[in-house]
Amino acid sequence: MYCEGDSWGCYLPMSLRSMGSDPMERVVKLASESAVVIFSVSSCCMCHAAKRLFCGMGVNPTVYELDQDPRGKEMEMALTTLLGNSQTVPIVFIGGKLIGAMDRVMASHINGSLVPLLKEAGALWL
Amino acid sequence: MANHHIPYALLHGMNVPTSFINQEGSAFDFGELEEAIVLQGAKANLLTGRTAATLEMFPSWPMRYQQTPGSSKSGGESTDSGSALNTISSKTENQFEPDSPISKKASSSYHQAFDQQNLQQQQQQQEMASDPSRTGTSLNQSAPIVKPLQEKKRASTSEKQLDAKTLRRLAQNREAAKKSRLRKKAYVQQLESSRIKLTQLEQELQRAPSQGLLLGSSGGGVGNISSGAVICDMEYARWLEDDERHMSELRTGLHSNLSDTDLRLMVNTYLSHYDEIFRLKGMAAKFDVFHLLTGMWTSPAERCFLWMGGFRPSELIKILISQLDPLTEQQLMGICSLQHSSQQAEEALSQGLEQLQQSLIDTVAGGPAIDGMQQMAIALSKLANLEGFVRQADNLRQQTLHQLPRILTVRQAARCFLVIGEYYGRLRALSSLWASRPRGRLMSDEQPCQTTTELQMVQPSQSHFSHF
Repeated sequence: MYCEGDSWGCYLPMSLRSMGSDPMERVVKLASESAVVIFSVSSCCMCHAAKRLFCGMGVNPTVYELDQDPRGKEMEMALTTLLGNSQTVPIVFIGGKLIGAMDRVMASHINGSLVPLLKEAGALWL
Repeated sequence: MANHHIPYALLHGMNVPTSFINQEGSAFDFGELEEAIVLQGAKANLLTGRTAATLEMFPSWPMRYQQTPGSSKSGGESTDSGSALNTISSKTENQFEPDSPISKKASSSYHQAFDQQNLQQQQQQQEMASDPSRTGTSLNQSAPIVKPLQEKKRASTSEKQLDAKTLRRLAQNREAAKKSRLRKKAYVQQLESSRIKLTQLEQELQRAPSQGLLLGSSGGGVGNISSGAVICDMEYARWLEDDERHMSELRTGLHSNLSDTDLRLMVNTYLSHYDEIFRLKGMAAKFDVFHLLTGMWTSPAERCFLWMGGFRPSELIKILISQLDPLTEQQLMGICSLQHSSQQAEEALSQGLEQLQQSLIDTVAGGPAIDGMQQMAIALSKLANLEGFVRQADNLRQQTLHQLPRILTVRQAARCFLVIGEYYGRLRALSSLWASRPRGRLMSDEQPCQTTTELQMVQPSQSHFSHF
């Protein structure tokens, strides 16, 4: 099993990262730093499902738990604004590009567009 | 141009009683109309010595009026109903009080519960509108003019222009009209709730055989089915009827060698038909997620293979692969890849749900530190996440179905949908047969061969078997 327990690949402490004051800026910066980025909330079970999906495909996602970040609330709001108010975590970026919330991720996996995106971003090899 | 839109009465400086501008927030009624006419007539007689041109007194209202934002209570009311509709989605089933579940489309049955009231008002007002041809802006313009007139009106009634008798009669008419409105509303509500109760009872009776003859067993008992569940089942039954129709259309379409374009149209129609069931399930999930999750909305045999409130997409694809024989290499790859992706997605969702269940178990099992009410509150908020999982599962099902015509030819896609429809039809038939099978001692003096005879008798009547 690729991912076990709570260690989701690169779990980087956010305090060392981007110094941008604008939460949206921060989101974008974080999103572009890894091939697959998931903005999550540690207690959210749908986020767990998203993580499991990528791990099951052999992908190593970078996960940011917004509830464990002092500025997570702002970032969550920025993400909600970006996606429209009905969307909520988990929110996935691949290769710096916004994919969306869980339903968009599932839809793109089913219609076959997810895997090419992952390969393009270097998260998946044949 | 502006004058054209101002009511005749106002143009001529007549008093326009504002009582008919829905201050009670309820529908227009005769009492108020009569009052308006009488007051109008009295004033007009005084001023101009002629009876009022009552027709011109009522401009584009009430139809326009209804649509005017913020000009009055009535407009506010439509908005309120609309927002009530929007907020209903965030409320639990307990707060849902359907007035009229009758509808043509699945989704509108929930909407109609709130639109019913609006509709009645609009219909009443439509009947009353004496000058429908007059368009133009609403009373927004006239509202500011009317207000000072209203004050004038108050002053004028003390001028003894109308005798006490007339005033009293008008007031009584108003009251009577109001009372009859309320009575009618109460009656309609009573009818609707009786209808739902009746459907509940019917469903309980239907379920009784399959759960043993004891009514009031674990799943049974009147009132154990929520009204949201009842509506869900009603709409699902209607959807199934539509499904039969679509399927026979597809069947004839395939056998009569329709052109690909025509067939594609049929396939797209069928896809929209499926979109409809997912829309319905989405709403049902808001009102009664357990009804979906436990599979009580489907037949027992389907319930057996239930995954997250519905069919398992990868299972369905497996069935299709076995039924769709001549597949090209590319198509086979496409279908297998679809199956694989679906399996991965199902696995992920299942694991997410498992984590939710575990978390719920931990909460309900509880620790000494948590007090009862807080424990329940936490458990409730966790339960709320169930809806999200059912929705994602349905999303997965919907996407899978939509993907089929993309990777197959249109004929194959049509055949796919037929296969799917027939498969579930057979499962439903199986459920009915199972439920109505003789059960030893309960049907005394029966020969063993009677079972087979019964099965043979039942079989031809099942249209689902016609394709075998």
